[in-house]
Amino acid sequence: MKIPMRTVNIGGEVFRIPDLSKVFGKGILGIIIAIAIIWLLTGIYIVGPDSQGVVRTFGKMTRVVDPGLNYHLPYPIETIDIPKVMEVKRAEIGFRSVDPGPPASYRSIPNESLMLTGNLNIVDVDVSVQYRIKDPVKYLFQVRNLEQTIHNAGEAALRQVGGRRPIDDALTDRKEEIMQDTKAELQIILDLYECGIQVIAVQLQDANPPQEVDAAFKDVASAKEDREKMINEAQGYRNDLIPRTRGQAEKAIREAEAFRAERVTRAEGDSAKFVAVLLEYRKAPKVTKKRMLLETMEEILPSIDKYVIQTQKGGDAGILNLLNLRQSAGGSHE
Amino acid sequence: MSKRAWQIIGIIVLIILILSITYVVDEKNQVVILQMGKPVRTVQKPGLNFKIPWPIQSTTTFDKRLLDYDAAPEDITTRDKKKLELDNYAKWRIVDPLRFLQTVRTENGAQSRLDDIIYSELRAELGQHDLEDIVAVNRDTIMVIVTEKSNIKMLEYGIEVVDVRIKRADLPPENEKSVYDRMRAERHRIAKQYRSEGEEEALKIRAETDKEKAIILADAYRTSQMIRGEGEARAIEIYANAFRKDESFYDFYRTMVAYKVTLKSRTTMVLPLETDFFKYLK
Repeated sequence: MKIPMRTVNIGGEVFRIPDLSKVFGKGILGIIIAIAIIWLLTGIYIVGPDSQGVVRTFGKMTRVVDPGLNYHLPYPIETIDIPKVMEVKRAEIGFRSVDPGPPASYRSIPNESLMLTGNLNIVDVDVSVQYRIKDPVKYLFQVRNLEQTIHNAGEAALRQVGGRRPIDDALTDRKEEIMQDTKAELQIILDLYECGIQVIAVQLQDANPPQEVDAAFKDVASAKEDREKMINEAQGYRNDLIPRTRGQAEKAIREAEAFRAERVTRAEGDSAKFVAVLLEYRKAPKVTKKRMLLETMEEILPSIDKYVIQTQKGGDAGILNLLNLRQSAGGSHE
Repeated sequence: MSKRAWQIIGIIVLIILILSITYVVDEKNQVVILQMGKPVRTVQKPGLNFKIPWPIQSTTTFDKRLLDYDAAPEDITTRDKKKLELDNYAKWRIVDPLRFLQTVRTENGAQSRLDDIIYSELRAELGQHDLEDIVAVNRDTIMVIVTEKSNIKMLEYGIEVVDVRIKRADLPPENEKSVYDRMRAERHRIAKQYRSEGEEEALKIRAETDKEKAIILADAYRTSQMIRGEGEARAIEIYANAFRKDESFYDFYRTMVAYKVTLKSRTTMVLPLETDFFKYLK
């Protein structure tokens, strides 16, 4: 049987399709059949690679479909939902992205971002929650307003965790623990709701002291710096002084060693000289002694002031006069 | 009318009939069947169902999913008479649509009932705890207790309260100032501590350094004195060994040297003429 064809123009492209009016004959029956075929065709659908399809037959979930081209009986018999199960979604707590950028710009939501910590301090935190669909069936049918639910649960989880810890944990090195705890807490809450959501990560974007007390917190940081500075300066003092002192000590010891060497060597020299003189002296002791005395006199007497007096004639008077010799003599004997 | 027109009318009537005796219960929903306005049964299982056509039986659909209750923030007084600004939400679902329909009729009706009950339960429970308790320690247990109590009370409305959760428990703005003052004081204290710790450490290092310096110098003094003494001792020994050979000559010899060194210019000497030295002058 030869099927009659006709051409149609769809968006500039020309297709040849069966001419239904000729196949079914003209009239209402033809139109009904054409509508029925179009209706049947509406059941064709494609599940993208990042998605899964969930088919409901008369409202009841009947099957989950993996990516690809597929068919379901048309509405109202069957309906399809195709949630993106691979997509990572974000919930923002304490801020909202105004413009994803770059550069990204944010708007702070103080109501959400200010929270009480364990020791009743207030800290300003921005958190983003990343999640994806774990179970598309639960995701579709278990909870109404899922995004709001995740946001609320995230806020609650963050405050539950933050409330248990002192403020410094959020501001310094304990951020990682807070993120892990919040993630676990949030997952527990979402599992309680059976909403088919997997929390991938809770990111502490920003944690600051509130503006009102920011200066005080900065002062603590600079106090820490000051402490390091003072210690460094003292260390510098030490590094300067100790080597110099060791040098001084070394110098004193070397000087002593020099003194010892000098003393010993000189003593040896003096002794050697004495022994040498002694040897010669022994050969002619009397005359040598005399000579040495006279030589000494020769050496001494020329340069000193001397008065030769005759003791037997002057008696005591002579000695008395001597006391005034220096004055009466004046400069002539200098 | 033509035969064809009768056919069309027949088809339309058939469709209306089919629609009026069937109804679909979606995964998200549950349905109450009303017979002449009186509820006769509830259907919670999703799928295609049949009923007697309207106007004898009609359906009312309710959501089966977990629903929201989100209250506006409220001020609550704690046991230690402090104010806390509380923002909580609850998760609930309709478990008995028949009873739900009879008691609160709509979700809006349910919301106001939830409002009454959850708020009063929360206030009662939080009134038994101190502020710090609520923020830090006992938040989880408080929430569990309030959830349980609210759940029991809401059951008569066909509602299950799955979770009551404190979203935010913050201080009212008028109390924040005192918290900030306290935080500033606390930071001030910490900063002070850091600075005095720095001073402490620095002083320790300096004192230790000065001590080491004194020790090093004293050590060096001791060593150098020992060395000097050793030098002296050996010199003495050497001298003694040499001079012992002839003590009287040493006496003479050394005296001569001493004369030479000590009797220099500016020495005035009175020499009697009778001295040995002048014996030839006489």
